[in-house]
Amino acid sequence: MVPLPLSRILYIEDEEDIQVVTKIALETVGGFTLLVCGSGAEALKEAPEFRPQLILLDVMMPGMDGPTTLKSLRTLPGLDKTPVVFMTAKVHPSEISNFKQMGALEVIAKPFDPMKLAEKIRDIWNATHG
Amino acid sequence: MANPEAIREQLNALRQAYAEQLPGKIREIEEGWRRLDHGPWDPKEFLVFHRQVHGLAGSGATFGFPAVSEKARALDDLLKTLPGDKGPPRPEIVTRIFEGLGGLKEAAGASPVVAAILPPPPTTGRDDHLVFLVARDHALTESLTAQLGHFGYAVRAFADAASLGEAIDRERPGALIADLPAPPQDREVLEGVTELQKIPGRRMPVVFTASRDDLATRFAAVRAGGSGYFPRPVDISSLIDQLELLMSHYSLEPYRILIVDDEEPTAERFKAVVEEAGMAARVVTDPRQISGPLVEFRPDLILMDIYMPGCNGLELAAVIRQQEAFVGIPIVFLSSETDIGRQLGALRLGGDDFLTKPIAEDRLVASLTARAQRARVLRSFMVRDSLTGVLNHSRLKAQLQIEVARSRRQGRRLAYAMIDIDKFKEVNDRHGHPTGDRVILSLSRLLQNRLRKTDIIGRYGGDEFAVILPDADGPTALKVLAEICDGFSHIRHVSERGEFSATFSGGVAILTEAGDAGSLNEAADRALYEAKNQGRNRVVLAP
Repeated sequence: MVPLPLSRILYIEDEEDIQVVTKIALETVGGFTLLVCGSGAEALKEAPEFRPQLILLDVMMPGMDGPTTLKSLRTLPGLDKTPVVFMTAKVHPSEISNFKQMGALEVIAKPFDPMKLAEKIRDIWNATHG
Repeated sequence: MANPEAIREQLNALRQAYAEQLPGKIREIEEGWRRLDHGPWDPKEFLVFHRQVHGLAGSGATFGFPAVSEKARALDDLLKTLPGDKGPPRPEIVTRIFEGLGGLKEAAGASPVVAAILPPPPTTGRDDHLVFLVARDHALTESLTAQLGHFGYAVRAFADAASLGEAIDRERPGALIADLPAPPQDREVLEGVTELQKIPGRRMPVVFTASRDDLATRFAAVRAGGSGYFPRPVDISSLIDQLELLMSHYSLEPYRILIVDDEEPTAERFKAVVEEAGMAARVVTDPRQISGPLVEFRPDLILMDIYMPGCNGLELAAVIRQQEAFVGIPIVFLSSETDIGRQLGALRLGGDDFLTKPIAEDRLVASLTARAQRARVLRSFMVRDSLTGVLNHSRLKAQLQIEVARSRRQGRRLAYAMIDIDKFKEVNDRHGHPTGDRVILSLSRLLQNRLRKTDIIGRYGGDEFAVILPDADGPTALKVLAEICDGFSHIRHVSERGEFSATFSGGVAILTEAGDAGSLNEAADRALYEAKNQGRNRVVLAP
C-alpha cells in the first residue's frame, strides 16, 4: 500500500526555547502538524489520541529520559511501531548506533538549523517510507 | 511554506530572546556547580547540572551562538565520563570543569552569528486565480479573458512584454500566457519572457499561444521557457488543463539537482550556485554512494564530474542508465575535458550534455534549468500504466491536484477512492504472476466500464488503484464503488490450478473545506485500512 505523506509529528522536549524554535521549524517552515509535549509523562497521556505518524524525541530530559519514554510509548495501542527519531546533542557514532538499536530511524544532532529541520525530517521519512 | 520573511522575523525574535536569557542560564549553571563543589555531593544536583550544560550544547548554535554549543559540548563530554552517583570528581577534573565553565561564559558574551542560511526567494504570495496575458491581438485578448473568466480566472492583459517584470513584482500571477505574433515581431515577446525566467522572483509557469504551428516557433517557445504551446484557435479546455497542471504545487517544487563530484569544494560551490538560482541541490562526493540519493532525493537532473577516483563518471552514467527507473534522468557531465572524442564517448554512454569547466555561473544555471524542466515535462507525458492503460501513479497524483483545485474554484464536490485487491500476494503465489496480472487487468476494465467518463482512474502501483470522482458526494461514491466491489467478487478467474475469485477493499473520502490533495489521499487510505480491518471485500466511507 502506498505510504501516507508525513504530517502528524509528536515532539517531546523539555526545554522551552528549543520547543518554540522547533515548532516554527516544523509547523511554519515545514507545514507539519505538531503536538509538543514537555515530558515523557505528558507524551504518554497525549500520544494515543494524537496518533502521530512520527515521534521526535529528545534524549536527555528530567524525569523520564528519551529511551525510557520510548519504551513506555511502545506499550500503548497504536504506538508499537510508530517510527521514532531522536534529537540529541550527543553525536558519538557508538551512541547513534545504540539509539538505532532501540528502534530509532535516525538521530538528529542538536543544534540544528531551524530552516532545514523540516527538510531533514522529510528526507528521513521518505528514505524509509517513500 | 509560509512567508519566509515572516519566518525570518520570528526566528530573529527568538534569537533575541535567547541572547537575553543566556547570561542568566550560564549563571544558573555556575551556581549549580558551586553548590556541588562546596556542599555535600548531591548526585541529583549533578544530574541537573549536567543536563543544563547538555541543553546549551544542543541549543546554542540554533540560536546563533555556535561557540556556546562548542564549549558546552566539550564540557558535556567531560561530565559524561563522571560517575555522578559516586561522589565528587578528582581535583584535576574539578579544575577542568571550572575551565570549561569559564570558556562557556566567554562564548556566551560573544555577539550572535546571524544565520548564514537564508530561506530561498519567495515562491509564495502567488495568486493562482490570476493570469497575465501578453497579446497584441485584441480579439484574442477579449476571447481568452472571457473564456478563462468562465473557469474562475482573472486575466490581466498586456500589449507587450516590456512592462511585465514590474507588474509581476506588484502582484504575482499564477501563470503567464504569451501570444507569439508572426516573425519578426515575435522576438520582442520571446526575449521578454526569457528575461523574466532568469530572475528567480519573477519566474513563473509560461504557456505560449501562436498563430503558427511550425517546428521553429515551437523551438523558440521552448527555449524561452514555455511549458505549453497552443496553436490558435486555442482549445480552451486543454489550455485550462495545462494551466492547472502548471500551477499545482506538483510542478512548483524546485528542480532537484544531484551533484556528483569527488572534490567537495567544487561540489559545494555548484550547490551554492544551483540553490541561489532557486533549485534544490544535493551533493554526493563518493560516487559509490549514489544509489541512496537517487532514490530518496529523486533528482530531476544529475550533474556529474567525469573523472573521479574508483569509478569514472562515464561508467557511473552507464550504470544509472541500466536501471529502468532512472532512464529518464538527464545526466550532464562537467569536466575540464576538451577532447571532442571523449565528450562524444560520454554522450554515447548515456550523458545528455557536456559542460566544460570552468563554466560561467549563469550558463550553468541556464543549462541545468532548461534540462530539468524538460525532464519534468517528459516525465509527465509518461502518463499511462503499461499493463492497464489507466493513469500511472505520478500522473494520477498530478491529476488529483488539478481536480482539487478545480473543485475548489467551482465550489463543487469531489470524491476520491483508493482500492486494493485483497490478499493479492496469495493470488500471485498460488496462481502465478501472469494470472495475477490478468486479475489486475480485469479490475481495471471493470472500473473503466462501470465508472463515468468524467471519473479518473489510476493505478497506484502493484494491486492498488485510485479513482477520482468529480462532482460526487460521499453516499453516491460509496454506492458506486460498493456495486463495483460486489461485481468484482463475482468474476471468475481461471488459472492452471483452477477457477477462483478475488475481492478488493476500498476507502472513499470527500474533499473537505480545509482539505487538500494530501489530506484527501490520507483520509481515503485510512478508510481503506478500515475496510481491510472490517474483513475486506467492502468499501468504507471516511468519516
